[in-house]
Amino acid sequence: MSTSTPPQKTLSRIAANRLQKELSEWQINPPAGFKHKVTDNLQRWIIEVHGAPGTLYSGELYQLQVDFPENYPMEAPQVIFIQSPPLHPHIYSNGHICLDILYDSWSPAMTVSSICISILSMLSSATQKARPPDNDRYVRNCRNGRSPKETRWWFHDDKV
Amino acid sequence: MDSEDDMQDAWGGESDGNLSNENEEEDEEVSQSNEPDYGFDDFAADDDINPSSRLPQSNYTILSEADIRQRQDEAINTITNFLSVSKMEAGILLRHFKWSVSKVNDEWFADEESVRKCVGLTATRAENRRRSQTENLKCAICFEMHPLSRMKASPGCGHYFCETCWTGYIHTAINDGPGCLTLRCADPVCGSAIGEDMVLGLVVEEDRLKYKRYLLRSFVEDNRKAKWCPAPGCEYAVELGFVSGAGSYDVVCKCSHNFCWNCLEEAHRPVDCETVARWILKNSAESENMNWILANSKPCPKCKRPIEKNQGCMHITCTPPCKFEFCWLCLGAWTDHGERTGGFYACNRYEAAKQEGVYDEADRRRDMAKNSLERYTHYYERWATNESSRAKAFSDLIQMQAVHIEKLSDKQCQPVSQLKFVTEAWLQIVECRRVLKWTYAYGYYLPNHEHAKRHFFEYLQGEAEAGLERLHQCAEKDLQEFLEGDTWQNNFNDFRTKLAGLTSVTRTYFEKIVRALENGLQDVVQGQGAQGSHVAQGSRRR
Ligand SMILES: [Zn+2]
Ligand SMILES: [Zn+2]
Ligand SMILES: [Zn+2]
Ligand SMILES: [Zn+2]
Ligand SMILES: [Zn+2]
Ligand SMILES: [Zn+2]
Repeated sequence: MSTSTPPQKTLSRIAANRLQKELSEWQINPPAGFKHKVTDNLQRWIIEVHGAPGTLYSGELYQLQVDFPENYPMEAPQVIFIQSPPLHPHIYSNGHICLDILYDSWSPAMTVSSICISILSMLSSATQKARPPDNDRYVRNCRNGRSPKETRWWFHDDKV
Repeated sequence: MDSEDDMQDAWGGESDGNLSNENEEEDEEVSQSNEPDYGFDDFAADDDINPSSRLPQSNYTILSEADIRQRQDEAINTITNFLSVSKMEAGILLRHFKWSVSKVNDEWFADEESVRKCVGLTATRAENRRRSQTENLKCAICFEMHPLSRMKASPGCGHYFCETCWTGYIHTAINDGPGCLTLRCADPVCGSAIGEDMVLGLVVEEDRLKYKRYLLRSFVEDNRKAKWCPAPGCEYAVELGFVSGAGSYDVVCKCSHNFCWNCLEEAHRPVDCETVARWILKNSAESENMNWILANSKPCPKCKRPIEKNQGCMHITCTPPCKFEFCWLCLGAWTDHGERTGGFYACNRYEAAKQEGVYDEADRRRDMAKNSLERYTHYYERWATNESSRAKAFSDLIQMQAVHIEKLSDKQCQPVSQLKFVTEAWLQIVECRRVLKWTYAYGYYLPNHEHAKRHFFEYLQGEAEAGLERLHQCAEKDLQEFLEGDTWQNNFNDFRTKLAGLTSVTRTYFEKIVRALENGLQDVVQGQGAQGSHVAQGSRRR
């Protein structure tokens, strides 16, 4: 699994300002079920995800890695699961997540917090723990450390 | 010889860009004169009486950038009037419905509300309460507080963001590509369209130009009826009107590129797009085997020294002292080729060659794969040779226009306006080489078991080839004498009559062959008659 830093330029002044403010807001009012692990790296956030009670992932703990591009928030952050990603029909074994707001439907008025809420809702609505049907082929194609943002995603499911 | 209607039929009627159209008067002058026999036999000469056999003409218009802008403005004005919407809204609607005014109308009047929702022209405002200009608002993009005067609301929905963030948002979209034309409000759940007024009011000059470029391009790229000319660097678009019947899509751009509007390959009458696609695929599959064929050098069949083919026609004369005259295609002696012996060009006829034992019994026993490669090779070589002849003739034409016409005018004391018949001839050669080339793809896919059609086809092709060869030689070799001769030559008028006459009959003949092939050789019965009469007439040719 790739956790290496994507080839990325450092944050612009606007991006650093916005991230600083976003982090402060997070610390005052974090989304339920998420915990930001404190590091000194503003450009990469590691976030703990607690499976929501009463769902298939209840009591389980996962980790998200969020990398911010130079011109964040005009461009979406790269969000992947690291270590052992949850078994879910839209989450690949390499941690890539098939979720439209991370790619085509990103808007600069979205936040890490709103991403987290979407991911938790995606996990909570799952009715079975399984990998996407094309998991093996997709993961094989990503072997050279390709970013999920380079994938042409096809968002087919608005229920899970 | 047919009437002048034939020429009109063959070349008239198309809209802009048909280079051959310009000089009809001179042709008339020639065809009214006492015409010598140029060697074509009429086949199915009566079919001109029947108007349904007239050529299917595609009706098209070449659009410059200015024309495109004008059409966009016209469409926007129409929608603005019909729907009582702003120009900006009309633009958004037209881009969504691929610039079809009638589609916008139909959809709008069928269900205005769902159309509005779909394109992002919702009338609902985000917040209607009055704000004071000194009030501070938080921008949801940069997270900074700004006085209202520094904020900007999207006119469609009223969502506020600071000007810097709006500008950055639009800049990012423009640099992501033509998707910026359907940009929506930055609020994640809003979906209201951001029109060109807001975009152009905020961005820097560079982005402005890019956005305007995308606006222009959308008229062609989103439009089912328009396409860009595929010639490299050409900026014209071609808008198709209607295609009647099983019409051809061949169009001529103002840049002089001649292409098929439907498949964007070079013009390919008389074969259809599907055959062209199959042929191109076949060529790429066979390309390794075919490399040797493309070589422009072959040994002279007599003295074996390598001969470089540098002229367009197939009649080659080896360098002195050999001076052997032969046919580039079959390497046979030129004396066996036609006119003197009363036969006609046999080198186009693979089947005939096979029967005559050029491909002997041993060849027949070779395996199918070899056999089919050989068959393909026959057609491919002739296809490729005609293509390089076409390219050569085209550069000769350019050279003719740039240099030789002037020179000829001096030498023969003729005003340049009287020498149009030379350019006309070269234009005709270029066109004929193109048609002839595609007849070889046609022949390759013509089923072997359809003997009558095949014979008719080979007869037509043989005649076409022979006629074109005569024209090409006259335009190339005969002209050379007048260019090189030191003084005015009094037989120049004879040359004019001959070349203009050859041009005219060749044009007529090629139009007929194109029509016959496009009709799938339906006239095959008449054709067999024609072939019979050909044999009888053969001996009286020069
Ligand atoms: Zn802002
Ligand atoms: Zn909005
Ligand atoms: Zn062009
Ligand atoms: Zn085509
Ligand atoms: Zn020789
Ligand atoms: Zn020959």
